[in-house]
Amino acid sequence: MNKPIKSFVVANDNIEAETQRWEAETRAPFVSQHPERRDPFVTQSLKWPIKPLYTPTDLEQVGFDYLADCGYPGEYPYTRSTRPNGHRSDFWTMTQVTGFGKGADWAKRARYMLDQGLSGLILEYDLATTNGYDSDDPMVEGEVGRAGMALDSLEDLEAAFDLPFDKLQYLMSVCNAPQPVNLAMIIAALEKKGVDPKDFVLHIVNGILIEYTCVGRYIYPPEHGLRIATDCIEYIIRNHPNWAPLSIISAQLQPAKANPVQEIAFSLAIACAYIDATLERGLDIDTVAPYLNHFVVNVDMDFFEGICKFRAFRKCWARLMKERYGATRPEALKIRMMTSPTTIALTLQQPLNNIGRLAIMATACALGGAGEAMTTPLYDEAHALPAEDAIRVGAALQHIVAHETGVAETIDPLAGSYYVETLTKQIEDAAFQELDKIFAMGGATKAIAQGYFQRALGHEQYEQNKDIEEGRRKWIGVNHLRLEEEKREIEIFRLDGNMEDEQVQKVRDLRTRRDQAAVDAALEKVREAARAGDNLVPPCLEAVKVYATHGELCNAMRDVFGVHTPDSQMSGV
Amino acid sequence: MAAQPARRMRVLLAKLGMDTHTVGVTVIGHALREAGLEVIFTGLKQTPEMVVAAAIQEDVDVVGISTLSAGHTRSLPKLARLLREAGAEDKLLLAGGVVPEEDKPVLLEAGVDKIFTMGADTREIVRYLEEWWSEKQAAETV
Repeated sequence: MNKPIKSFVVANDNIEAETQRWEAETRAPFVSQHPERRDPFVTQSLKWPIKPLYTPTDLEQVGFDYLADCGYPGEYPYTRSTRPNGHRSDFWTMTQVTGFGKGADWAKRARYMLDQGLSGLILEYDLATTNGYDSDDPMVEGEVGRAGMALDSLEDLEAAFDLPFDKLQYLMSVCNAPQPVNLAMIIAALEKKGVDPKDFVLHIVNGILIEYTCVGRYIYPPEHGLRIATDCIEYIIRNHPNWAPLSIISAQLQPAKANPVQEIAFSLAIACAYIDATLERGLDIDTVAPYLNHFVVNVDMDFFEGICKFRAFRKCWARLMKERYGATRPEALKIRMMTSPTTIALTLQQPLNNIGRLAIMATACALGGAGEAMTTPLYDEAHALPAEDAIRVGAALQHIVAHETGVAETIDPLAGSYYVETLTKQIEDAAFQELDKIFAMGGATKAIAQGYFQRALGHEQYEQNKDIEEGRRKWIGVNHLRLEEEKREIEIFRLDGNMEDEQVQKVRDLRTRRDQAAVDAALEKVREAARAGDNLVPPCLEAVKVYATHGELCNAMRDVFGVHTPDSQMSGV
Repeated sequence: MAAQPARRMRVLLAKLGMDTHTVGVTVIGHALREAGLEVIFTGLKQTPEMVVAAAIQEDVDVVGISTLSAGHTRSLPKLARLLREAGAEDKLLLAGGVVPEEDKPVLLEAGVDKIFTMGADTREIVRYLEEWWSEKQAAETV
């Protein structure tokens, strides 16, 4: 039978009237006898009202049009997927964050993780490194090798890269403010190991603008921060075209309590700042956008806010590239996302409950399209640095979602849900409104300088915390089903107590062994490039090869750029 | 009826060293201000010496350190020692954030007065501070 297919939206003109009838005749009498559990029902972080029932009428009201709003996987506007076959050909790359101790400690942990079936790693550095200090600087006492790996010189990366590079397909390096130094060290270390840079993907995060917004690991004033980031972007595009020079870690805005609309709008505005700076280097949008389209996006526990955020995010990027920049290449219009369950949903209390939360959030990531890669935080995250058991469970979680649940067997399986399409469209519309507001301020760099992002996040942080304390949001183990006495459920990973002293000694020894005249000359070249506005990566590369240290190189740039000391306007506290 | 406190409690909130996670300290700052306390934030990347100097200069009653990296086992004992050496041990020294159970006795032994770990209710922190404050006021008026 060849019946004409009626449009999805206007399937039945009676639906609106029928919904009203159902409300009056069936639901209202029931609710009058059985009052609702919550008043009002709202989404977790946007606090948008949730109706008891969504119908085709809601799609009509938000102006949903299947072909314009959803389209097809791998085609504009990419709402359903950027991948023509979703995850039916390949699963996402499964990654985890790791980093602690000295280079050799990291290599040992990285090998363990690769053996657990992970093919990509995220290398986090300690706070001494990410803030631009050597391990023996008095400013960083107590921090060495703790929140990530200690990195003072090329020697540390040579030790860290004692890895089976045939198993490692992808390495993300998270070192934003000192990015040219870090990039130079990785390039030099790969060269020493004889790894062909074409054989694997180095992805530098290079995300200085989010550091000024909410993370705080900045060194130089913002205008210099953006210039340094752009140097790295330009260097990679011109020299290592298979690598990735930027990641907008929207997943750092989210733990700072950005709601999904703020997350999309702030991240896209930040992306535009990098794009504009890179276009000024004489590259065109269809060349640049495919390099600057990497985002890391979290889900929180509100399943649908998370899933709809992923869907809206893909579409908003595509629209922005097309409408604002006139990009035409599909590679420019497609966002590349790494997705992740958020750490802020995890509790210190009853930490094994976190495995359940992680599984649910990883499922939401997969249902939202999962992106190119997924990374999972670990159930002991609130306690300390991860123990090996937690890493094994974290890796297994992704395999369980991928292989056992069936959620990735068809593309974008929740499309067409009245609720999902309504919420996706509402998030998209609100994100574009917020984005217009930021562009009217002069873009992300102006919004940061005025403290707009910071204050907006500070407000969300306080309000969302009040929701939990006052019980509007139930959080198991925190304000619901609390245990009087918490018993120790898990093993805590402890670092070697001598590690810091050893690392400090190591960098001091290095300074006595190396060719100091060569180091001094190389550092001067970095200062010259900083002053002249030349790309900083080549002089940093020369300097790391003669074992100038990370801190010395950061200081050479401090000499020229000065340091960032935000005023009260820029602090959300 | 309880006597009206003579003046508002002044609290210095600080982030030591390279730990730049600010959500906790932001929430506490808003909550303490809402409870009527005076709050001063040092900003990020402070040394124990800088915090002690600020505590004395601002004449605060309470020093609250937010710690979300693992550096606290070195920096907090140092801060407590410097406060004692500066004759400022009467100031209440609080720590909050991610502090593993086994670190708590070490920090308490070193002179930290109270530790609130992640998930602590801001109302509980306010209550604790108010009780401490009225005891201190009472002791001072005797």
